[in-house]
Amino acid sequence: MEPLRIAGRTFESRLLLGTGKFSSHALMAEALAQSGADIVTVALRRVDIENENDDMLSVIDRDKYLLLPNTSGARDAGEAVRLARLARAATDIEWVKLEVTPDPYYLLPDPIETLKAADILVKEGFVVLPYINADPVLAKRLEEVGTATVMPLASPIGSNRGLQTRAAIEIIIEQANVPVVVDAGLGLPSHAADAMEMGADAVLVNTAIATASDPIAMAEAFNLAVQAGRKAYLSGPGAVGRQASASSPLTGFLRE
Amino acid sequence: MKTLRINGAWRDFPEGLPETVSDLLDVLHINQATVVAEINEQIVKRPEFATTPLEPGQSIELIRFVGGG
Repeated sequence: MEPLRIAGRTFESRLLLGTGKFSSHALMAEALAQSGADIVTVALRRVDIENENDDMLSVIDRDKYLLLPNTSGARDAGEAVRLARLARAATDIEWVKLEVTPDPYYLLPDPIETLKAADILVKEGFVVLPYINADPVLAKRLEEVGTATVMPLASPIGSNRGLQTRAAIEIIIEQANVPVVVDAGLGLPSHAADAMEMGADAVLVNTAIATASDPIAMAEAFNLAVQAGRKAYLSGPGAVGRQASASSPLTGFLRE
Repeated sequence: MKTLRINGAWRDFPEGLPETVSDLLDVLHINQATVVAEINEQIVKRPEFATTPLEPGQSIELIRFVGGG
């Protein structure tokens, strides 16, 4: 299948993996391998001075995976820009998953602050992948300021509720000239396959894999689902109808 | 005054203030390779850790990557 292209780079996998909530770094690394993902998100937090050497990056092969630092925890554009600059200083990576979530209960992204931060970061040379509500107008506005993708949510982060925003995501996919990555809320491989069948370019999954009883097997299940969904989309699904349409011939029956 | 504000909390250095960011990380037993630092909201890049002097009363943020979605 043709690779995913974002900002001039190509990726074999259309599943992006988040690295939060895994019970150990070793488990995360094994799930990452089974997911087939090429892009992994990470967060920036203060060092715990009392527990100083907990280094999760040591288990991620930077030659194999693209680290995508996020700006989680940012409540406004200023905080997001600060986090993005820190991430770049730490890694020399110019890619950033922009998220601005002032609401602690639903973690819904602030569209105005996200657009403001995206504009600043694009001008500073960042490759910006913004996490947004499924708002087709906002998606176009972000594309116009130069973001590399748009990443509409399926349902609230970590909720595992699946594609609650289907109708709006369909419009975003129809109108977008940048890759559409469905992010947040995909709880099952079938949800991911659904998004891919709709024509999403990729999906980003974390909680559904990290909190499964067997994250490694669930990572593989999502890997297969994303491939199946993409292949189905490219295959051109048949028409949907209200009435039956016989699959077997309607001639040659054994009767008069 | 031998204090620095590190990650939001004031900390005393009765033995003397660490001279550079590198010295501070050594005192705190923090692996330099995994950390990014800010002094008074100005980023200090890792290659500059050993040459960036500290002054009493500065606000220092020491940040690293953790798992996240």
